Amino acid sequence: MPEQLTLYSHKLSPYSHRIELALAEANVEYKAYQVDLFDKPKWFAAKVNPIGKVPAIAYGGPDVDPSDPSPLSFKLTESNVILQFVAELYPESGLLPKDPVERAKVLFFMDTVDRHFDRPGNDWMGGRTESYDGGLLSESDEFAVGDRYTIADACIAPLLSRLKITYETDIGGFPVGQGIKLGEALKAPKYAKFMKYAQVMLERPSLRDTNDETYLAEFWKRLITERRQ
Amino acid sequence: MPEQLTLYGHKVSANSQKIELALLEANAPYKTYQIDFFNKPEWFASKVNPVGQVPAVTYGGPDVNPEDPSPLSAKIAESNVILEFVADLYPDSGLLPKDPVQRANVHFFLNAVTKHVEEPCNAFLRGVGPYENVLKGFEFVQGLLEDDRDFAVGDHYTIADACISPHLARLKIVTETDLGKFPVGMGHKLGEELKGPKFAKLMKYAERMLERPSLKQTDHEESVITLFKTVFTERAQ
Repeated sequence: MPEQLTLYSHKLSPYSHRIELALAEANVEYKAYQVDLFDKPKWFAAKVNPIGKVPAIAYGGPDVDPSDPSPLSFKLTESNVILQFVAELYPESGLLPKDPVERAKVLFFMDTVDRHFDRPGNDWMGGRTESYDGGLLSESDEFAVGDRYTIADACIAPLLSRLKITYETDIGGFPVGQGIKLGEALKAPKYAKFMKYAQVMLERPSLRDTNDETYLAEFWKRLITERRQ
Repeated sequence: MPEQLTLYGHKVSANSQKIELALLEANAPYKTYQIDFFNKPEWFASKVNPVGQVPAVTYGGPDVNPEDPSPLSAKIAESNVILEFVADLYPDSGLLPKDPVQRANVHFFLNAVTKHVEEPCNAFLRGVGPYENVLKGFEFVQGLLEDDRDFAVGDHYTIADACISPHLARLKIVTETDLGKFPVGMGHKLGEELKGPKFAKLMKYAERMLERPSLKQTDHEESVITLFKTVFTERAQ
């Protein structure tokens, strides 16, 4: 009998989105709780994550209501750490390969995503850097590593979805028009493999069913009021 | 019969030292090759690590001279990825626990060392990061250490210990010599602060790590000091 798993997340967070994707792909039963990031319940920092961020999970312990976490459950934060934990809890899911070399490729992909895609992407999105030269990845055919869905795919997919919203709507802190320009640039042949991979990821039911592009776009519009010149 | 494993590193590289510690603690056979940072051989980027950084590992393939890496071996880069790889190759070494919860604690520790030790310490050393962040970072990591436990996670040496130990060794050098680009005296000040009761748990843990034979064997204090003296010539005000 598998132990209980509760995921504390928020629709805005690509990091908690990663976990939702992995859990969906592995067909894991779990409880989901949306933490209102703008009006955080006191118990969240006190009982789940002292830093108050999502994603966070509670694993094991008695089967309680997510809003009443038990001190007996194991609490874990940091999206990539949680991804690996889920993959290791469910080894037959294929979320992490069994072969050490293939596992290393998955972990390297995740490390690269955070270093060269996520951080530069966030900075550009927030208008903090000149241009988005995300060191766009050229890995992949259908999956980031190997021939099945792994936590490498779960790691990048939410960022791909947000990237798409950016270049379709031009919403962000970067100068007006740069979003559209990025979209045009991504149509070049050198990005063909990457864009094909992005498309495959976006069409997977796990992402399609957990994605709410309109909500994200609307929210960003309200949040990002100043644009760089 | 384990496959060949060659570690490309440098004796002053903290990240390379992490890997050697793990290999030694696991009693794993391996070859090492020193890559001269200031005069990198051309084949290193083209045949081992396109980014040209150490550490990098080749695994498997024919048993060749390290200067002649085979296209048939797997190439792995990024120190924390390599640490995990070594732990996976030797699942009974204890480098990673078998229980998923304990493994997650090790991974969380690795993540914390990167964010709260490596980044603030590197920035401080280069004279571009505040001293306060170094202290805050060590406080955070100290909070992860259990009381009265010899190791970072669980009852056995893991890649968590291998990951932080080289940074603890360099911390000792910086606090003793005051070498770095930070303002003069801040290295000594850091040392004084760390001797206080607030950091007793961390310092006790550091002492234990620095006493391990694996650390002593891979410790090249003189070379690190020479490097620091060469590289850190200007001081921030």
